[in-house]
Amino acid sequence: MATREKLVEVKNLKKYFNMGKGQMLKAVDDVSFDIYKGETLGLVGESGCGKSTTGRTIIRLYGATDGSVTFNGEDVHGKKNKAKLKEFNRKMQMIFQDPYASLNPRMTVKDIIAEGIDIHGLAKTKEERLQRVHELLETVGLNKEHANRYPHEFSGGQRQRIGIARALAVDPDFIIADEPISALDVSIQAQVVNLLQKLQRERGLTYLFIAHDLSMVKHISDRVGVMYLGNLVELTESDTLYNEPLHPYTQALLSAIPVPDPELERSRERIILEGDVPSPVSPPSGCRFRTRCPHAMDVCAKVAPKWQEAREGHYVACHLYDEELKEN
Amino acid sequence: MSKRENYVNDELFQPAQIDSHKSEKIAGPGLSFWQDAWIRLRKNKSAIVGCIILLVLTILAVFGPYMNEYSFSEQKLTRANLPAKVPVIEKLGIMDGTDDMGNDMYEMKGLEEGTYFWFGTDGLGRDLWTRVWQGTRISLYIALLAAAIDMVIGVAYGGISAYYGGRVDNVLQRIVEILVGIPNLVVVILMILVLDPGIISITVALTITGWIGMSRIVRGQILKLKGQEFVLASRTLGSSDNKIITKHLIPNVMGVIIINTMFTIPAAIFFEAFLSFIGLGLQPPIASLGTLIEEGYRNMQIFPHMMIYPSIIISLIMIAFNVVADGLRDALDPKMRE
Amino acid sequence: MEHILEVKNLHVSFDTFAGEVQAVRGVDIKLNKGETLAIVGESGSGKSVTSKSIMRLIPNPPGRITEGQILFQGKDLAKYSERQMQQVRGSEISMIFQDPMTSLNPTMTVGKQIMEGLRIHQKMSKSQATARAIELLKLVGIPNAEARLKQYPHQFSGGMRQRVVIAIALACNPKILIADEPTTALDVTIQAQILELMKDLQDKTGTAIILITHDLGVVANAAQRVAVMYGGQIVETGTVDEIFYKPKHPYTWGLLASMPKLGASDTDLIAIPGSPPDLSDPPKGCPFAARCPHAMKVCVDHMPDHTEVSGSHKAACWLLDERAPKVEKPVEASVGGAR
Repeated sequence: MATREKLVEVKNLKKYFNMGKGQMLKAVDDVSFDIYKGETLGLVGESGCGKSTTGRTIIRLYGATDGSVTFNGEDVHGKKNKAKLKEFNRKMQMIFQDPYASLNPRMTVKDIIAEGIDIHGLAKTKEERLQRVHELLETVGLNKEHANRYPHEFSGGQRQRIGIARALAVDPDFIIADEPISALDVSIQAQVVNLLQKLQRERGLTYLFIAHDLSMVKHISDRVGVMYLGNLVELTESDTLYNEPLHPYTQALLSAIPVPDPELERSRERIILEGDVPSPVSPPSGCRFRTRCPHAMDVCAKVAPKWQEAREGHYVACHLYDEELKEN
Repeated sequence: MSKRENYVNDELFQPAQIDSHKSEKIAGPGLSFWQDAWIRLRKNKSAIVGCIILLVLTILAVFGPYMNEYSFSEQKLTRANLPAKVPVIEKLGIMDGTDDMGNDMYEMKGLEEGTYFWFGTDGLGRDLWTRVWQGTRISLYIALLAAAIDMVIGVAYGGISAYYGGRVDNVLQRIVEILVGIPNLVVVILMILVLDPGIISITVALTITGWIGMSRIVRGQILKLKGQEFVLASRTLGSSDNKIITKHLIPNVMGVIIINTMFTIPAAIFFEAFLSFIGLGLQPPIASLGTLIEEGYRNMQIFPHMMIYPSIIISLIMIAFNVVADGLRDALDPKMRE
Repeated sequence: MEHILEVKNLHVSFDTFAGEVQAVRGVDIKLNKGETLAIVGESGSGKSVTSKSIMRLIPNPPGRITEGQILFQGKDLAKYSERQMQQVRGSEISMIFQDPMTSLNPTMTVGKQIMEGLRIHQKMSKSQATARAIELLKLVGIPNAEARLKQYPHQFSGGMRQRVVIAIALACNPKILIADEPTTALDVTIQAQILELMKDLQDKTGTAIILITHDLGVVANAAQRVAVMYGGQIVETGTVDEIFYKPKHPYTWGLLASMPKLGASDTDLIAIPGSPPDLSDPPKGCPFAARCPHAMKVCVDHMPDHTEVSGSHKAACWLLDERAPKVEKPVEASVGGAR
């Protein structure tokens, strides 16, 4: 594990949004993790937990409030000249959630896909550009005739594939997939997930896969991080996370997901969490999950739990696994 | 079961070769947004009628004053206050140069046979046909001016305010708030203190305040669009601000810009007519539809023709612009797309 | 068993710019007293249109019921006037929608919104209605009900709002509750709360529920019977166990196979290729034929009949014809088999 090459290193990343009147929305609050070359790291959490903000901050759509993101050994948020910035833009790409909002309705599919090719001058002639577009369309399972069409003529799944082709056009190493399947139907979700996995095998891509659907994230990811209210609460191999979840929130999340198996559903003991997620503007003191946690202790309200490696390669932020605390 | 067997034979139970990708085929021609809008507009009969009316009025405004030998300022009291008289139509009993008593005014004034004033003359004997089209020109000039101001100042101002946001937005929006606070009429009156009343002061007044509505709409649209995922995608690809504005933002607000312009035009035309009517607008001998209506209104009961024709023309212009604007909105509004 | 609702051969069409879209093409539904029937399908399969038609909530124009009957306690709702429907809506049949934000009126207190139906349909006095509203809020698990009654929707969180919506729907003890994607807009942990609540309430009140959803997990959790919709038609109906363990229609197989199994080891998901049919130009034969791996020549041109598999299980597929080759459900699709 340790010998694997780190592609992205996120250290103590914070992103606050100023809501006015001196209020700060702490969308991402002190999050650290690494992404290794060639792996898929999943990031799950409920709405408002900061998973999308994390993705957008990594790709520089948002400036970081504090902390650092290192990509290929270089600081992402540091000052860069134009050429360096372009190089960075080529290597890191993003796939978006809403297939209806992520394509410009006034442009043809050809121009949408070729946008990156034009910006980075990847095609010398018009023929070469068209050639590239046709190749990309084929890669994502659409055909050449689709090049001159407009986005509104396509279904959600097809649009999402066009979005993938656009990201692939600049030959990236790392793709952030921000809820790429949440808006799609079940049968279409599988198409897109299979396509992403095929591309990863063929091109050695690294993914950060953001979603709220734990079953799909578990399926596609090598490792999964669970976020709650701006914090990362647990991160480990996806099988380990499913079989031995440590954090009470992960346990509740896993038990809340309905499984397409009626017998199992009837026999299953569920952990039903009380209440709703608190507002990220005024999060609870100490551990943010304590207001809904079935195991909350006195210490949880006072001290925020440390982000530590509870077992090998299994990180968790919870006082239940705090060795020092147990000794006292 | 028996019913089925009539048409379903065993042979049909062979595996069929169906290319599953066929279901991804898209039927019909690929239409761009503008082609689609054009088809929609063409189906809207009233909008097409509106377009034709505007076209005819424009042609008449350009060529109308040259269609007879009278000039718009040529006065001759011997032919004052004549009602309309048009060849051919006079035989139908209307527009035959008679007043409501049935007296032929042309004969009474001693004008020679074959003299025709198509819309009649005013109190100073000026040909109303020439003057009405002269006035229409003013209205159309105002229309063009209002559109240009909207398009240039309004769009740029709103666009810059929204796209750069933050401080820039704050300062620009405070300025707008101040401008909105001053009524148009006050601006015009202040203008008259500096300049003479006339086309220039109206132009300046419109330039100062006419674009605010547009700038607000464009600002709202751009604010909404710039957070959209396709703009974010373009930014992650490394697009410059220029590219994002010209390729992604402007094409997507164009529909709204056009619709809004079409609705500001009639308002501007009416604004000019209103100013002229209350005497703050154009001054004689220059004619505008507003001044013509004002002159006609004073003699409305004795010589109704003086008010009727300019009133019909200005109503036609306003209705036509509104109908066309409505049609464009239906054609361009993305909510109508399924 | 007694059918409280029976939909027979329902056809619903929408007139659009691009022509007539046949959103629902011959749907038959039977709902028994006190049971939960799930209608599953992808977007555009016609499941929402079907449920809205039962409530006669399809805007007309552009939508209209072109054919069929909706028999509620023996009376045909399809023939009811708008006036008569108003008597039924909210008191006999209620509906809850996907988005709790938009289904509540932001300018009215929650209490007023719950009492509205009670006062209209049950002609209750104000004090009676207030008492009942407090009772309802307690029933749906909202603590501190007396104080919450005077609050506005924005003072409630998403999950609490959906509870309020359910309270409003249940106010007049309806015989049928139609829940159109009631948990789709909610987070997983909140979804679990709401599903628990709905099951709990059904035990208490005996209301029959039609649950519209695209999530097979929710179906497995909450429903007793399932109808699978595709291309505006019901392709398979049966009890939950029949649909999940012994599905007969290739679309149901595909749907089950394309879901990742939380417990199973990672194999590739089996995707259904292609896209759903365009209902402005519906296919002549089986709507799934173009995407079906087992399609035969007969499927392309002829609509299959609903074939009875067992007393409660029906599927519309030519594979069930005795002349068709024997095709079994692919092994990969076996649900829960890995556990």
